Amino acid sequence: MSSALLWAPLAFGLLGLFLPRRAVGPWAVLGALVTLGLAIAIVAGFESGSSGMQYAVDEPWISGLGVDYSLGVDGLNLFLVLLTAVLWVGGVAFAALREQERPKNFYFLMLVAETATLGAFLAQDLLLFVLFFDLMLVPFYFLFGAWGYDRSGEGGPTASAATLKMIVYTLIGSLLMLVAAIATAILAADGGDITFSISELAQQPLGEGSQRWIFWFFAAAFLVKMPAFLLHGWMPDAYRAAPLPVLVVFSGVLAKVGAYGFLRVVLPVFPDATVEFQEAILLIALASILYGSVMAFTQTNVRLIAGYSSVAQLGFITVGIFALRADGADGAVLQMVNHGLVVAPILIIVALLLERTGSEDIREMGGLAMRAPVLAALFLIVALATLAMPGSANFVGEFYILNGLFQEKIVFAFVAITGVAMSAYYALRLYQQTMHNRPASQQGPGLLSREIGIRDGLVLAPLVLCILALSLYPQLILERTAPTVEKTVAKVHRGESPEAQLANMTIEEKRELESGNLELVP
Amino acid sequence: MSATTWAWLVLLFPLLGSIVIALGYRALPRKAAGAFGTLSIALAFACGIAATVSLLGDDPHSRHHASSLWDYASAAGLDIKLGIFVDPLSLFMVLVVTGVSTLIHLYSYGYMQSDEGYHRFFSYLNFFVFSMLLLVLAGNFVLLIVGWAFVGFASYALISFWYRRETATKAGMKAFVINVVGDIGLVLAAFLIFRELGSFDYGEVFEKAPEAFATNEWTIVAICLLLLVGAFAKSAQLPLHTWLPDAMEGPTPVSSLIHAATMVTAGVYLIARTHVLFELAPTAADVAAFVGLATLLVAATMALVMTDLKRAIAYSTMSQIGYMVMGVSIGAYSAGMFHLMTHAFFKALLFMAAGSIIAAMANDQNIDKMSGFGRAMRFTSIAFVCGALALAAFPGTSGFFSKDEILAFAEARGGMYLVFTVLGYVGALLTAVYAFRLVFRVLPGTPCKEAQELIETGHVAHETPKNPATGEPEDTDVGFPGSEHHIAEQNWPMRAAMGVLAVLALVGGLVQIPGVDDVIGKFLEPVFEESPLAHIHPSLAQDYVGLGIGGVIALLGIGIAYLLYVKQPERPRQLEQRLRPLHTLFVNKWYFDELIDVLVVRPALAVGRFADRVFERFVVDGLVSGTAETVRGAGGVVRTVQSGFVRSYALLLIAGFAGLALYFLLTGS
Repeated sequence: MSSALLWAPLAFGLLGLFLPRRAVGPWAVLGALVTLGLAIAIVAGFESGSSGMQYAVDEPWISGLGVDYSLGVDGLNLFLVLLTAVLWVGGVAFAALREQERPKNFYFLMLVAETATLGAFLAQDLLLFVLFFDLMLVPFYFLFGAWGYDRSGEGGPTASAATLKMIVYTLIGSLLMLVAAIATAILAADGGDITFSISELAQQPLGEGSQRWIFWFFAAAFLVKMPAFLLHGWMPDAYRAAPLPVLVVFSGVLAKVGAYGFLRVVLPVFPDATVEFQEAILLIALASILYGSVMAFTQTNVRLIAGYSSVAQLGFITVGIFALRADGADGAVLQMVNHGLVVAPILIIVALLLERTGSEDIREMGGLAMRAPVLAALFLIVALATLAMPGSANFVGEFYILNGLFQEKIVFAFVAITGVAMSAYYALRLYQQTMHNRPASQQGPGLLSREIGIRDGLVLAPLVLCILALSLYPQLILERTAPTVEKTVAKVHRGESPEAQLANMTIEEKRELESGNLELVP
Repeated sequence: MSATTWAWLVLLFPLLGSIVIALGYRALPRKAAGAFGTLSIALAFACGIAATVSLLGDDPHSRHHASSLWDYASAAGLDIKLGIFVDPLSLFMVLVVTGVSTLIHLYSYGYMQSDEGYHRFFSYLNFFVFSMLLLVLAGNFVLLIVGWAFVGFASYALISFWYRRETATKAGMKAFVINVVGDIGLVLAAFLIFRELGSFDYGEVFEKAPEAFATNEWTIVAICLLLLVGAFAKSAQLPLHTWLPDAMEGPTPVSSLIHAATMVTAGVYLIARTHVLFELAPTAADVAAFVGLATLLVAATMALVMTDLKRAIAYSTMSQIGYMVMGVSIGAYSAGMFHLMTHAFFKALLFMAAGSIIAAMANDQNIDKMSGFGRAMRFTSIAFVCGALALAAFPGTSGFFSKDEILAFAEARGGMYLVFTVLGYVGALLTAVYAFRLVFRVLPGTPCKEAQELIETGHVAHETPKNPATGEPEDTDVGFPGSEHHIAEQNWPMRAAMGVLAVLALVGGLVQIPGVDDVIGKFLEPVFEESPLAHIHPSLAQDYVGLGIGGVIALLGIGIAYLLYVKQPERPRQLEQRLRPLHTLFVNKWYFDELIDVLVVRPALAVGRFADRVFERFVVDGLVSGTAETVRGAGGVVRTVQSGFVRSYALLLIAGFAGLALYFLLTGS
């Protein structure tokens, strides 16, 4: 099942190369839909309440190097897999409703990207993870570079220059991670059999000295991907260059691979370093929240507002993970899904606004709600979810994250929560400046705006429905993810004092402790 | 059916109404949408009564029920259910909210008739009522925050209802952001409560709190102060009040419902709801009481000098809420809630009457331009006077009994609390003056142009309406009422709504006459039975002395207003001259907007500009990505190497990956 899910998009992508030009778009949509069907089947069959790996596939691959073809689904990646499948349907369908240049290549690359992303989420072998993590970059490099926007007319970089910048940033991170992964396996083997299996590596953590530097190598890769404060230099150019349907999936999913990497790899394999550098990462994340929010409310380009708001949101997610408490991390996992579900529709709406007004600058928009009330209503729901309006699932995520942080480091929580107030301002400003007020000139494009079409509506409305459904019942995600998340977090504290261990234990573990199956490490 | 089942139905109808009207914005005819919206609230009111009847059937000591639908977000020890809490306090709020809302919906049915955004209006208005009911019925702090934020959103949506008006969208944003600050206060309070008590659930929190906290321990004081941030933001208490006067940009029924009768009283409800906590933190309760007192005085001075009819009433709202906040903070719970109810009656009425005058004035709200409406609009004028009498606490009216009950309680509590009684009466004098200043400036005198036209032809028609703040012509396409004006008197739904409220404003206080009856006190008693403060009762003598003083002050205030605005109309100008600094301070709203601008808005924008123009360009792009820029500058050779490197890396990756996949397939293990 995991394998079928993983390779389905690639298979569709390859077959699409042999179809006539006009058929590839619908074919790619079908491919994404089939993948979504598989992902839904996995979620439906997922046994909630269990913290173990499900749908596991584990075959030796390169046995000499100890690399396994090992996939699996647990609470950490279950909904990220589903999110990937959902957003790819949205992105591909939105693209398919429009004319694309060189459609065969375009859709092939889109579907390759989906496989690579699913691979990064599903991989349970460290080297496989690194491989997919790097592979993700390749299709996006071509998609951004060849189908992107040339901004040299506006004083910005060309599409390929912007893409190059992104690649340089991420490659440096990736190479560090590759080195770190190999070093981890070799050091862990200590002369014995090498293995890259994440669960086995987590059994025997490395010495503290090695953990220290390897931690930062991984952290660098993940923080660039998110992107975190000071490592986000590639983001503005890349966001402006990217073709919007591609940016939908890129912004919606890829950033989460970084946050996911912390939960999947860093916390279990480098627990001591995680505890040691907790505050350092928290500081970076706080800076991301504040800086991203401040930037988001000064920008006038809609893409950049979305981009910087993502920096802030990913900051919240990182804070949740590094609160190193079950509630914070639960919130972080929930928020990864939530953020993907709001940023994707926002970018689709940006594309619709661009088509209607010919501009991406909010100063040149306004008053669109009049002719497009349905579009405005959908946008309003998304904007409110973005600012984590209480009642939305985003609020639940943020509430869990901040509660975790509050109980762990109260001062940090007070700083982080200012980001909440700022998000209210920038998200609402984005909505208000485009949909309300008067257009820059009374006869401006705003007055000529038109309602969202039925076909675009069919792409956008399901995403908005997902937001609404999750808002009514965020428990859907929490109850399935919580057991694994709690186990992951509890393990980090294994090396600490018995009191700290006890405080961070899952209920399951406490029961085992009472029955004598488990002992505290002195 | 049990009280909780009825309470769920109370929530259901407005939500349903909102959704149906929104989805049917094309299909439903206007009248149907308005009728449907009004009916859904009326049904909620009926269910509220049924719930109350059902609750009164229970033993007084067990008149509180919790009920939950499903686990909303429960993991990692946080147990958050979609649950409600039904007791006399929440049902009291339900009845006030749904009752007044029904009337305001009825009024809007007529008032908004010529507005293009009719469906949108009713959908939002229904959503607001749903949110407010969620706020009062919530069974835990998380759901409370949800309701709290929902009403904030509804308020935003309705303030910026005429969304082509930039003054309106700005005001909406201001209200929303300040309310988010309040939400954050509540969220932090919830975190702290969870840290100390391990729960968000009302029942559990209120039960555990007395054992967990010593009186005035810093944690409980901090919790209460954080709750107050939320309460002050929502209830427009100093210094988080600046959004309320600006909120008058919204259509008048909105001002009437949200910004006078219901939403802004949420802070009062919150303090009463969490009175268990506040009694453990007397310091915080005193802070709240003094802020309430300060607000009631400061806002009254601003109401005295405002020339904008709706803004003057808005400041009066702030001031009256100051009384309520003061009341519930010093322990006068049922008195505070009583004043909340009577205020809902007379203030909703005042806004409705004002709205009908403003509609005749083509949305010009400046009282300097109004006069002679007493003859032009008889029904409206009577309603306006009824409202003003109750506001001024004229003997026998509803405001007379409720305001005095708070002040008498403060007197009975004695000690420091006497300050509240004394200054409360000072506020009462100001209230009577400003209430009748409005009456005397708008109703009598030679009719202004619009009033004259109304007297002669029976209707008013204007050119394109203009935004009085900016002078821009209004955009009638998006829903701003056009040149046809609906005068309240000519429309039965508006008349009915105003008529009922006028009667309630006059006689609503009779349910609570000292020594005669005590309907509200008795009804709310079970909620506060464990509170030592609630057992303080002023003696009958104290009550009647207080009522006597209150009555004299009201008459005195009305007399002063008569003297200033009817007998010697030149006197106010002279007073302005003589008290120039004071007048400037009041007219400029005590410079609160400017203060917030200098302290918060400007620094934030400056930081933003710095980040955008300097930091992003020189630090982020300069240092970190120095690679890309400087390397490119260094020469083409490096560039080709670099980009060539990237391309080959990409190809290598694909090739390698394909090769490995192939290897795996072939070895097939």
